[in-house]
Amino acid sequence: MAPFTDREILETVRMIELETLDIRTTTLGINLLDCADPDLESTCEKVYAKIVHHAGGLVEVADSISTDLGIPIVNKRIAVTPIAWIAGPSGAEDLVPLARALDAAAKAVGVDFIGGFTAYVEKGFTRADKALFDSIPAALAATDHVCSSVALGSTRAGINMDAVSDFAQVVLDTAALTADEGGLGCAKLVCFCNAVQDNPFVAGAHIGAGEPETVVNVGVSGPGVVRSAIERLGPDADLLSVAEVVKRTAFKVTRMGELVGREAAQRLGTRFGIVDVSLAPTPAVGDSVSDILELIGVDRTGSPGTTAALALLTDAVKKGGAMASSSVGGLSGAFIPVSEDAGMIRAVQDGILSLAKLEAMTSVCSVGLDMVAVPGDTSAATLYGIIADEMAIGMVNQKTTAVRIIPVPGKGPGETVEWGGLLGTAIVQDPGRASCAVLHSRRGRVPAPLQGYKN
Amino acid sequence: MARRFLTAEDVRRAGGPEVVVDEHTVVTPHALEAAQAAGIAIRTSSGGPWTASSSAPDRGPDAAGGAQRTAPLPEPPADPGVGTAAVVTAVGRNRPGVLSEITGAVAELGGNIHDVSQKVVEGYFQMVLVVELVEGRSFHDLKSALECMGGPDDYAVTVMHERVFRFMHRV
Repeated sequence: MAPFTDREILETVRMIELETLDIRTTTLGINLLDCADPDLESTCEKVYAKIVHHAGGLVEVADSISTDLGIPIVNKRIAVTPIAWIAGPSGAEDLVPLARALDAAAKAVGVDFIGGFTAYVEKGFTRADKALFDSIPAALAATDHVCSSVALGSTRAGINMDAVSDFAQVVLDTAALTADEGGLGCAKLVCFCNAVQDNPFVAGAHIGAGEPETVVNVGVSGPGVVRSAIERLGPDADLLSVAEVVKRTAFKVTRMGELVGREAAQRLGTRFGIVDVSLAPTPAVGDSVSDILELIGVDRTGSPGTTAALALLTDAVKKGGAMASSSVGGLSGAFIPVSEDAGMIRAVQDGILSLAKLEAMTSVCSVGLDMVAVPGDTSAATLYGIIADEMAIGMVNQKTTAVRIIPVPGKGPGETVEWGGLLGTAIVQDPGRASCAVLHSRRGRVPAPLQGYKN
Repeated sequence: MARRFLTAEDVRRAGGPEVVVDEHTVVTPHALEAAQAAGIAIRTSSGGPWTASSSAPDRGPDAAGGAQRTAPLPEPPADPGVGTAAVVTAVGRNRPGVLSEITGAVAELGGNIHDVSQKVVEGYFQMVLVVELVEGRSFHDLKSALECMGGPDDYAVTVMHERVFRFMHRV
């Protein structure tokens, strides 16, 4: 028997019982390339059958691991091959039937979300990519569990600004089609620069080229655990000690993720892919990244010093994860989804966390502008500008950046929108009056930066 | 390579009295319906009728190898003499008989206590038990029975598998 001290045992129990540590998601990746068919109806038939065939046991397996180990597994999800890659042979222009097939499969196997209504268009569109873009608003309005993501740029390819422009319009159309739910469709829609092909978290989950037939990826969270660890450290510890305690905590959390990932892969008879250790806040009390930043020492999230504190946090989480497992991947770091983090909502409400500061924070967090609400009458040019800025940060800094933005129909700056559940509450933020009309009217690409030429 | 899918269209095209599929072929629900409507039998290459449960998911050519090779993490070996082990913690208001109540329940559920520690601070106790399960007894039964004990004004019990602690606290 490996001897554990009482302190070790109580630390783990406290993390799970009091500090809301959990396995945030067990995501089964399923390759759908072999479902491509010249007939769209047959493609849908195969997609549905293959997902149900492979993921039929996923929820049961995740629940049994949760029971057998005594640790909570909150979500079970599926990530599939970008749908634009399998829609090509059919030549179909309306891909909503494929979204419906994904939704039906998700419902049949009982998962929370299915990600992969996706296209890669960093340099240009295929006909299927274009069809997918055009189908996104209707697809998200017609389904409950389907998430959509698009890759608009990368450090190697530059940014496809035509696609950025199209995406801005897709966001506006999706908000309009889901207006009665406060534009909620946009919460299931994200664009990326340097998209990650093994990301287990929605809305960006999908399985890219180079991934195996099926794979289990696990996402672990735990802002509450890190928050408590820093709180115990107190305000007098120096920054190296803060980084050290975050690293140690991330190590333990990642190990728990690896245990679950291995176990899930073994029970499903497939491969264990990666564990993504990401501090992903929820609206629950204490489960907040904003609280961590304030404990590190900024008065409020959004005040000067916030970007530096977030840089330290993201880096320490990555280092702890990298030491704990050889299979760390996905996005790993700290998420800053505004509406899902009670502390950030308060900071926006009090006028301290601006859109401009959020953008600065995304240059050091692990993803990007996430769950940000803007007025419903925001122009396409302004959305285009916000998205392009975010893509540029990712491209130049060789990091993943993303935009998940919700133009809330009928709401203006300062107004509140309640989405409920994990998506939380948002205060509509003001993107300012000046825009970028001429930039928006130019077509073409931002060429790849020098740092992309690495051969 | 064997046929990956059998769709309704494939069934209609086959037309014959039966369609033979491979063990790993995914037969879509539409194909089953179409076959039933047309009176066509779907059989596996081994001869029996195809059913959803007869076809195991084909997880890919490297799935099995991948599972066997996943060992980059030095999982500290458990004591070879010990089977499944659970770590039981209980926290609550101290009162006479609380230790015997919990340890009695553990014994009834087939648990052999390997290590026990208890502290009482200002009227509250915290107890940690490391419990080995005798063969044939399930972790799940132990967990669900022990976690029902106590109550809001008494004490709370948490049961976790020993592997969780090994992974988190041992390099």
